[in-house]
Amino acid sequence: MEIMVCVGSSCHLHNSREIIGRLKDLIAQNQLGELVELKGSFCMGHCADPGVCVRIGETVHAVTPENVEDFFQTQVIEAL
Amino acid sequence: MSNRVFYDVSSKSINKKNEELCGDKVEWTPIEDGVLVVLSDGLGSGVKANILATLTSKIIATMMKGGASLEDTVDTIVHTLPVCKVRGLAYSTFSVLKLRFDGLAQLIEFDCPGCIFVRDGMVMPIDYTEREIAGKTIRESTFQLQVNDLLCLTSDGVMFAGIGAVLNLGWNWESVCDFLAENYTDEETSARMSAALIGACQDLYMSEPGDDTTVAMVKVIPQQVVSMLSGPPKLREDDGRMVTEFMSEEGLKMVCGGSSGNLVARELGTEVTTDLFFDADGTLPAIGRIPGVDLTTEGVLTLRVANEIIRSYLADPTAEENLKRLDEKNGAGLIAKMLIENCTHLCMFIGKAINPAHQNPNLPVDLSIKLRLLDELAAMMRQAGKVVQIKYY
Repeated sequence: MEIMVCVGSSCHLHNSREIIGRLKDLIAQNQLGELVELKGSFCMGHCADPGVCVRIGETVHAVTPENVEDFFQTQVIEAL
Repeated sequence: MSNRVFYDVSSKSINKKNEELCGDKVEWTPIEDGVLVVLSDGLGSGVKANILATLTSKIIATMMKGGASLEDTVDTIVHTLPVCKVRGLAYSTFSVLKLRFDGLAQLIEFDCPGCIFVRDGMVMPIDYTEREIAGKTIRESTFQLQVNDLLCLTSDGVMFAGIGAVLNLGWNWESVCDFLAENYTDEETSARMSAALIGACQDLYMSEPGDDTTVAMVKVIPQQVVSMLSGPPKLREDDGRMVTEFMSEEGLKMVCGGSSGNLVARELGTEVTTDLFFDADGTLPAIGRIPGVDLTTEGVLTLRVANEIIRSYLADPTAEENLKRLDEKNGAGLIAKMLIENCTHLCMFIGKAINPAHQNPNLPVDLSIKLRLLDELAAMMRQAGKVVQIKYY
């Protein structure tokens, strides 16, 4: 699975750096390093969404520091 | 453009002791296809000399930049300079270097120490022809320059450094030549050579200069073009044209902006990869990589900081903290370093599309200011003596 995190201007201001750090930790905690690849991308065109734009496959999610664990549980662990 | 050159120009003065104003003046200005450097030494010292030298250098630079002939320029100076009451003379010496980017140098001198021309550690002879204009004997020479040549204009305060103090008769032209030939290597910049020569004069005068002492130093350097693309075009159908024109420039390439990065990659049939953990402790957005492009960064946030770094650098290019910021390993530091140290010509390809998301008033930082940042950057690069071209899309 590939998780693409936006690091464009808008998402940077929505704290994409923290989201990347949290996702990296969650991947390590759940020992998913073999299965999940974390990547960055410039602007994906969802700047108006209420969070950092994170794409898995064709679906784009708006992730915030508050919902990042929930997101990881439902969209990553349960989808694997 | 490989045989095209550029000129790294600097100057430095020390004032005659107890004087607040310098009676020498250096003026340099870009002209069509080159640079014009003027050094003038006004009669006497203090306010009077300062006014004479300033008028002389400014008149020469302005008239010659506007395409006036040497005859008209000298004639204007002779007839407009105020006459000194004490000496009954209107007098100011000058040296002019008209340097073209194909390496052709034209030197014009009136009554000042000869230009010193150093190549490969040797002082090169200059062949002059003389002629009379408006009653003044002017020396002229035209010669071809190559990369790493050094040209040094001085006021006579340099030649007389140490007179009656450390040395009976002061330095002379030959010893200044020897000093430059011995101390100049290809690695030295113009600013460092100016500082070295003025430092030596200061020592010989034992920090009490008997005359205003000024050098103007020119180092011949290769042209280095940097092309910068920022912002998608207003019209989508111009994407291809913008990228084609951007990629057809020689030299280094940088793309500043996330959407711009995606656009360039798409047009080149490749992908942007980002380095998520580059500058992981910093606060700036990550940088990206596009094959064929030397530097890819985020736009507005990174440019804002890059402008800050360049602004403080230009205020004092030798301060250590400013040099350190150029070496910062983040997008802004990389932009600033490339533009300051590896760029003589900047071609900017600016797209004027408005990013609707950047108009969002809920964001903590105003993202809609990118065009203004780019204008400011262009102005600073011009101030730094670089040639800037801007194309809007």
